Amino acid sequence: MKVRINDVELELAPGTSAIDAVFAAGHDVPYFCSETYMSPIGACRMCLAKVGAPRQDRSTGEWILDEETGEPKVFYFPNLMATCTTTVMEGMVIDTLSEEVKDAQNSMVEFTLINHPLDCPVCDKGGACELQDRAYEYGTGLSRFPFDKRHQEKHHALSELITLDRERCIHCKRCVRYFEEVPGDEVLDFIERGGHTYIGTADEDLPSNFTGNITDICPVGALLDTTSRFRGRNWEYHHTRTTSLDDSSGTPIVVDARTGHIERIKAGLHPDINKRWIDDGIRFGHEYANADDRIQSPMIRKDGELTQATWDEAMAFIATKINGLAGKEVGLAIRADATLEEGVAVLALAEHLQTGQVDHYPRPNASVIPPETPATFDDLARADAIFVLADVTEELPAADLRIKDALKGVVPPELMEHGVPIADLRLKERMARKRDILTVGAPFITDLMSHSGKSVLYQPGSEADLLEALVAVAAGESLTSDTDHLGLDQSELQLLVTQLIEAQKPVIVCGGLVLANDAAVAAAKTLAKTVDARLMLIGPMANSFGLERIGLFPSHDKYDYEAMISGGAKALILSGLDPAQAPAVATKLEDLDLLVVHDLFLTETARKAHVVLPARTGYGKEGTVMNLEGRLLPVRSAPIENNHAEDFTGLVRHFGEASGVRLEGRSTRSARRVLRKKFDVDLNDLNDQGVLGEAGTESSRQDSSKVNRGQKGNAFLTKAMVRTEYLDKNPSLRASNGGVLLRINPAEANAWGLHDSDVVSVMVGKLRRLVTIQSSELIPEGFMHVPSLPDQPAGLVQVDLGTIQIQRSALETV
Amino acid sequence: MAETAQESSAQLTSRHDPRYEVTLYRHVGVQDSHTLDYYLGHDGYESARKALTGMTPSEVVDEVKASGLRGRGGAGFPTGVKWSFMPPPDGRQRFILCNADESEPGSFKDRYILEDDPHQLIEGMIIAGYAIEATRGVIYVRGEYMTGYERLHEAIQQARDRGFLGKGLFGTDFDFDVILHRGAGAYICGEETALMNSFEGLRANPRLKPPFPAQSGIYGLPTTINNVTSLTSAVHIIAKGSAWFASMGTEDSRGTKLYQISGPVRRPGVYELPMATTFRELIFDHAGGPTMRAKAFIPGGSSSPMFPFQNEYLDAPMEYGTLARLGSMLGTGGVIVIPEEKCMVTAIYNVVRFYAHESCGKCTPCREGVATWLPKMYQKLLAGMGTKEDLVLIEEMSQRLQGTAFCVLADACAMPVEASFKHFRHEYQYLVDHGERMYKKSDWWQE
Repeated sequence: MKVRINDVELELAPGTSAIDAVFAAGHDVPYFCSETYMSPIGACRMCLAKVGAPRQDRSTGEWILDEETGEPKVFYFPNLMATCTTTVMEGMVIDTLSEEVKDAQNSMVEFTLINHPLDCPVCDKGGACELQDRAYEYGTGLSRFPFDKRHQEKHHALSELITLDRERCIHCKRCVRYFEEVPGDEVLDFIERGGHTYIGTADEDLPSNFTGNITDICPVGALLDTTSRFRGRNWEYHHTRTTSLDDSSGTPIVVDARTGHIERIKAGLHPDINKRWIDDGIRFGHEYANADDRIQSPMIRKDGELTQATWDEAMAFIATKINGLAGKEVGLAIRADATLEEGVAVLALAEHLQTGQVDHYPRPNASVIPPETPATFDDLARADAIFVLADVTEELPAADLRIKDALKGVVPPELMEHGVPIADLRLKERMARKRDILTVGAPFITDLMSHSGKSVLYQPGSEADLLEALVAVAAGESLTSDTDHLGLDQSELQLLVTQLIEAQKPVIVCGGLVLANDAAVAAAKTLAKTVDARLMLIGPMANSFGLERIGLFPSHDKYDYEAMISGGAKALILSGLDPAQAPAVATKLEDLDLLVVHDLFLTETARKAHVVLPARTGYGKEGTVMNLEGRLLPVRSAPIENNHAEDFTGLVRHFGEASGVRLEGRSTRSARRVLRKKFDVDLNDLNDQGVLGEAGTESSRQDSSKVNRGQKGNAFLTKAMVRTEYLDKNPSLRASNGGVLLRINPAEANAWGLHDSDVVSVMVGKLRRLVTIQSSELIPEGFMHVPSLPDQPAGLVQVDLGTIQIQRSALETV
Repeated sequence: MAETAQESSAQLTSRHDPRYEVTLYRHVGVQDSHTLDYYLGHDGYESARKALTGMTPSEVVDEVKASGLRGRGGAGFPTGVKWSFMPPPDGRQRFILCNADESEPGSFKDRYILEDDPHQLIEGMIIAGYAIEATRGVIYVRGEYMTGYERLHEAIQQARDRGFLGKGLFGTDFDFDVILHRGAGAYICGEETALMNSFEGLRANPRLKPPFPAQSGIYGLPTTINNVTSLTSAVHIIAKGSAWFASMGTEDSRGTKLYQISGPVRRPGVYELPMATTFRELIFDHAGGPTMRAKAFIPGGSSSPMFPFQNEYLDAPMEYGTLARLGSMLGTGGVIVIPEEKCMVTAIYNVVRFYAHESCGKCTPCREGVATWLPKMYQKLLAGMGTKEDLVLIEEMSQRLQGTAFCVLADACAMPVEASFKHFRHEYQYLVDHGERMYKKSDWWQE
C-alpha cells in the first residue's frame, strides 16, 4: 500500500497501523497506551494525526479525482485520528506536523500532566520516563491548571514485589491489558471511573508468575520494582544485556548495576524467544548475588577449620593432593547452568587429569537434545496443535507465554524498520482463545490447564505408559492394556493423535517428569517422529543442552555424578553442587582424600570441603549458553563486585598456573577457540540475537543404557520458576512465595496434623529439606509436590512424613 | 430579544395533518395498559404476526428502509440500512439488542413505553429479530427505570407463557427469546459499545470501532443495536405500511417522533408529533408555553448545543437537516427550556458536572478535561474567582475536547459549553467582571 507520511512516501504491507507507518517513515509521534506485542486501544489520544485517503466512487469503482490537479482527491477524516488504531489504506496521507496536530498534541500533554505529580526528582523512572520525554518534546512547558492535583496512595504494595504510586498513573491501561493479553491472568483492573479511576486488584497480591513486566511497560513511575525502589537513578545504572541462567529458555535480560551491586533486572527484547516478557523468578531472583554471606575468597581447611587463603595457596594445596592420586580417581562435576566456556574448562581439566569421571548435573539419563530439529519458541507461537507434558508455567515460563500466543492465533509480527510494530492491529483486547489446540498433561493440576482445551491428569509415574499408548495409537495398533491411569480413554487418545497428525505445525513439549523417565523420553521422541511434530525437551538447567552438546558427560555410566559422590572417586571437584544435603552422601564425602567446592555460599558440602573456592554468579561471568532451541546466546558480565570469585575458567587458569600447564579453557578466549571448532561460530562476535544452529544439533551422546520406567514415590519434584536453591537468599521473592513450598493434598495434611505455613524439615527422597507446608487441592490425594533442586532434579520421590520435624508451627506465629 | 419570540404560532401543523395519529404512545397513561390482555385487545402482536407469517426477513428490512425511519436514539442512522449491515447468517448466534439505557438529561420518552407499553417493545424486538434473523434479543434497561424493568420483566414472562416468545412463533419455525438486563446507572452505557461491554459483565468502556456491532457485537457475535423508539416505530411501519410513515415529515426526517419538553412550561412531557414540527408548536401549542420568560432552549437533550429563545430558532422545524445547519442536532428530541432568571453559567456547570461524573475515564481528554479540569474551572468561576484568562481557557478547552476523545461523551460535554459561550458570553463576562452572577441564585421551591 502506498502511503504518504508528511513528505515521505512508503510502500507498506496491508494491515500496518498508521503509527507504524509514521515511525517507518522516520517521523515521530508520541504515544502512551500503545505498546509492542499488545493490542492498540487508542485511549491516550497522544498519537492523533490528520489522516486522509482517496475514495472510490461506489458505482464505478474509480478513484474520485481532484478537479484541479487531476490526482485522486484526498478526503480527510473530519476529526484527527488516533494513528495507533488506524489501518493504512491505499493512497493514505498522514500529517503529523501541521499546526492542528501540534495543538492537539499540546493539549493531550497538558491534559495528561494536570494530575501527574511533579515528583520527577525523586521518581525512580526519572530519566527513563516516557511521559517526561514526551512532555519535553510535545508539551508547551507550562501548566494552566491552578488547582490541587489528585491525591491518592503513593506507596501501594500491589504485591511483595511491585509498588504502585497511584498519583503517577496516567491510565494508559498497559498493565491491565498486559495481564489479560499476555499471561492471561486477569489480576489487575481499573476501579472507579472518570477522574477517580485507579488500578487495583480484587484480592490481595498479584497471583501470576509474570507480574514484573508491568514495571517495564509502565510509561511513568507508577509501577515500580520494589526490590530496586529508591536504589538509584536511571542514568547511574550500567545496563548489561545478557542471558538469564535461571532456566533453559535463554531469556535475555538487562542487568542494571550501580556501584558494584545488581539493583534490578529488566527484560531484554528477543523477538524469537521471550518477545519482551520475563517471569518473576528471573526478574526478582537476583538478590542472592548481593548477599552478605557470599564466599569472598578461597579457603583451605587447616586444623579442621576453613581458613582464608589466596587462589595460589589453594591451588598449590589442590595440586599437591591431586598429584598423589591416579587421575581416574578424581571426579569433576559442574552444575548444568555453567557456560560452554566453563564446560570446556572442565573437559580440559579432566583431560589433563586423565579422568573419565566428569559430568554435569542435573542431567537426565536420556539425551535432552531431540533427535530431529528441536522446537523453537517461534514454533510454539505458530503451532496449531500443542501437547504439553510438563508444568511449563514453572519449568519454562517463556514457553508458557509463547503457547498463549499460539492460542490467540496471531503469528509473531514481522519486524519493521523501527523494530517491533508499535501497534499490531491484529491483536485485540479479550481475544477469543483457540483453547482446543492445547492439551496439557501432568499428574497434578497445573496453571496452564486453565487455558487448555483438554487437561490430562494421569496417574503419577505413568508418563511412559501415556506416551507409549499415544505412539501405539499413532501407529494404528490397538491398545492391549487398560488406559485407566492415563487420564485419557481410548477415544480421547485417538482424538489427540489425530489432532497432532492433522496439524500443520504440531509441537510436543516435555518437562522434567518425562525426562526423569527414560522410557517416556524414548516414547516422546518416537511420538514426535510419528506424528511429525517438533519436540521441545525442557532441560533441567540453563545450559543442559549446550553442555551435552560439547560432550561434558562421563565416558561410562558408572562414572556419572551420582556414582562419583557415592564413593566412586577419591577426590572431587564440584562446582555449584551440594550433594551433602543427603545425609547418606554427606558421610561418604568425609572419606574423600580431597573435596574441592567451587560455589557462591558455604553449603553443606562446602563445610565438609578441604578447599572452598568462591564462584561467580551468572551475572558476573562472560560466556555462552545454548538454550533448548539449540541457540547460542551470550552471557555477559555486569560490572558488579566479584571480589576473588572466579568462574570455572578462572579456576582452571589458577590450577594451570599452580601446576605449570596451559590448559584450554583457561580463559573465555581460550575456551572459545575450542568452541569455534565445534560450532563453527566465533563466540566473541555473538550478538544479542544469538545464533540458532542450522541443521539441528545432533548429540554425540547415546541414550543411557540405564532404562528406568520412572521412579516410585509419593511426591513429584519439578523445577520451580524461582531458583529454589537461592530462595532463602532472595528476601523479596521469599516473602512473595512464602518459602519453599511442600504442596500437599488437604486430606493428607489433615491426616498428619499439618497446617499451612508450618515450616518443617522432612526427608524428601534422600535429602533432608526445609519446606513450608501448603495444602492444595491441585495435588491429587496421597501425593505431594516439592520444587526440585540442582541436587534433586525432577522426578518422583518418596517423602517420608514420619521423619517430619516441625521447625516453626504456623500456630506459634499467630 | 424579539417580543414575538414569547408567543405561540398562528396555526398548528400537526393537528391539521390528516395522516397523523398517535401510534407509539397510544397506550401510555391508560390503566393496565402494560398487561398482555390489554395489549392483545388492541391489535397486539398483529404486526409481528404479519411480518413473520406474511413477509420474508429481507422484505421487512426493505419495508423499514422504505419508510425512511432513522434511529431515534440521537444519532439518526437509518434503521433499515443498519439492519441490512448484518452479515449473512453463518450459524453463529446473532443478537438484536435494544438500547433502553435512556440517560441523556432532557430525555424521557422510552421510560413510558417501558412502563406502560412493554409489549409494544417486545413486538418491535420480534420484528427486528426476524428481519436480521436473530433468535435472541437483549433489552438493556437503565438501572434507574425500576418500574419499567419490573413491567418489562413481567411482560416478557407473559409473552413467553402465551407463546409470543419462545419456539416457533405464530406457527412459523422462527424462534425468538429476549434477555432482560438491568444496567447499574452509568450514562456511558448508552453508548452502544460500552453497553455491550456492560452487558457482558465488563467495565463499561466504549470499544474501538471498527469492527462495528454487526461484525462483532455482544461476545464478538453479529449484533444490531437499536433504540427503544426505533424498534417500536417498526411495529407501526409494518402495521400501516412504509408509505404511511414516509408520508409524514420531510425528505430526510420521516414519520412521527416522540418529542420531550421540560423546564418551566405549562405542560411538560412527551408529545408524539410528526417530524419537522417546529419548536414553537411544541413549546407553545402543545406544552402551553413558558411559565416564565425564557432565554434559551436546548433542542435535543443536554448534549445538543442550545439556541437562544428567538424566532429564528423557534420557527425551525425539528428535523435532522435543519438543526444540523443551525449548528446543533435533533438528538433525542428532548427540549429543555431555560428561563431568563437562571444563570447560564450555573446551568452549564450543571451540565458539565453531569458529564464529569459520567466520564468513564478511558481516554485522556475526557478523564482529565471533562471529568477533572472543566468542572474545576466552573467552580472557580462560580466562586467569583474567575479571570478573563479562565474564559479563554474554558473556550479553548471546549474546542480541543471536540473530536479528540475516544467516544462522543467529551464532545457531548464540550458542545453545550461552546454554545453557551457563543450565545451567552455576556453572562460569563459579567461573572468575571463583578465576581458574582448576573442572575442571582434563586430557589424555586422556596418562593
